[in-house]
Amino acid sequence: MEKAIIVKEWLKTRLAAAASMVLCLAMAAYAILKINRLVALKGADHLWMIMLLKDNTFIDAIQYTTVISAIIVGIAQMAPEMTQKRLKLTLHLPYPQMRMVGLMLSVGLAELIAIFALQCASIAVFYSTLIPASLVWRVVLTSLPWYLAGLIAYLFTSAVCLEGTWMRRVVLALLGVCAVMICYLQPAPEAYNGMLWMIVAFVFLLALLPLGSVLRFKEGRQ
Amino acid sequence: MDNNVSRLSGEPVIHVKDLSMRYDGGRQIYDGLSFDVPQGRILGLLGKNGTGKTTTINILMGYLRPRGGECRIFGEDIRRLSPATRSRIALLIEGHVQYSFMTISQIERFYSRFYPKWNRAAYYELMSKLKVSPDQKISTMSCGQRSQVALGLILAQNADLLVLDDFSLGLDPGYRRLFVDYLHQYAKAENKTVFMTSHIIQDLERLIDDCIILDYGKILVHKPVSEIMSEFRKSAPENPDPYIREREPSLLTLEDAFISLTGKY
Repeated sequence: MEKAIIVKEWLKTRLAAAASMVLCLAMAAYAILKINRLVALKGADHLWMIMLLKDNTFIDAIQYTTVISAIIVGIAQMAPEMTQKRLKLTLHLPYPQMRMVGLMLSVGLAELIAIFALQCASIAVFYSTLIPASLVWRVVLTSLPWYLAGLIAYLFTSAVCLEGTWMRRVVLALLGVCAVMICYLQPAPEAYNGMLWMIVAFVFLLALLPLGSVLRFKEGRQ
Repeated sequence: MDNNVSRLSGEPVIHVKDLSMRYDGGRQIYDGLSFDVPQGRILGLLGKNGTGKTTTINILMGYLRPRGGECRIFGEDIRRLSPATRSRIALLIEGHVQYSFMTISQIERFYSRFYPKWNRAAYYELMSKLKVSPDQKISTMSCGQRSQVALGLILAQNADLLVLDDFSLGLDPGYRRLFVDYLHQYAKAENKTVFMTSHIIQDLERLIDDCIILDYGKILVHKPVSEIMSEFRKSAPENPDPYIREREPSLLTLEDAFISLTGKY
């Protein structure tokens, strides 16, 4: 049954996931081209110097792609469940209901993590040909809050889509914007190192949010 | 509890007692609604628009919390239906909602994983009448074809209870009749229980054993169709509607009885 649910979610979201992957990789390629151009014009030592003295990682172009990708996947996966009344069908399947929703969320999260990992890896591999591992790690740590912001955006998008009343949708959407913004408040590299674990814990807690929307749906708040 | 136990114990498949429903800030749908659906019976829930047919199905399937009352299916409280019990209930949602991003064969494979008594042959037998390829996506089909896919999936589940909300929506007359005949034969041969609503009453007359006619806020009639028709035909000569009064009683239909009871509008 789990395999059937995973395949169903994949069939539903594969186009959105592909679009998100294209977006993330295209923006990663854009960032790489910009760095390449700088290295060609001024040399790799100049790149090093700017990274160390000016706190620049040269990957700003990718920072919002994670959130946009997450919203695309979240809407493609969850919005039709409500607009086409498919949630009733899904919840009627002979499978524990909350586990079913959890599995659906896991598929969306797994797709996003795979896309983000690919984007992060492509930048890290490129950078590793130019700068030492410690600086590559610095770039990765700088981008990690953006990836977590993507996961937060996905969970809020899912909760908003599965919510049955407009009032709660608006409240959840506003809360989502605030939660995502937390990950973009400080632009300095590695600014979030001290609280990454807290953001990770927050993402785990947020997974309960769409489940709450489903429980309210079952109460008849539609 | 399997079919035999349910039949022997005499416990109804669906038990509704003193159900009351009111939407938040809205009008009362009904109050004190009670009925049972025994094993092996086909019950049609009829009523004008807005009398609470789909609401009743939503409550029975656990998608609405009623204000009060008790609902049980196969002896289980509908608020806590176990997956095992849900596997015994085939549900057709109003509008024949399905996973339209799947193809005919993908959706068959998907459902077959959930239902232990899945009948693949029944599904493909109905699909063969559609003249579409197994690789065709459901979203690219016509409304009527999508309805037929949904009905095929319902029958293939081989469930003990079929809950069909407005099953005739979007079906052409030929397929509607085919489905009614098929469902009647299937339900009687396999001792299935069916709880259904439809706006096309002439279909139901040939299909259902018992009938509940809902009016705003209450049940007007809950009787076997044969009883409703025999009483209606007997009283037809005194009916205030000249169309019914002047018609040969044997030609009167359940639809005539329904309109006579509920009014034209």
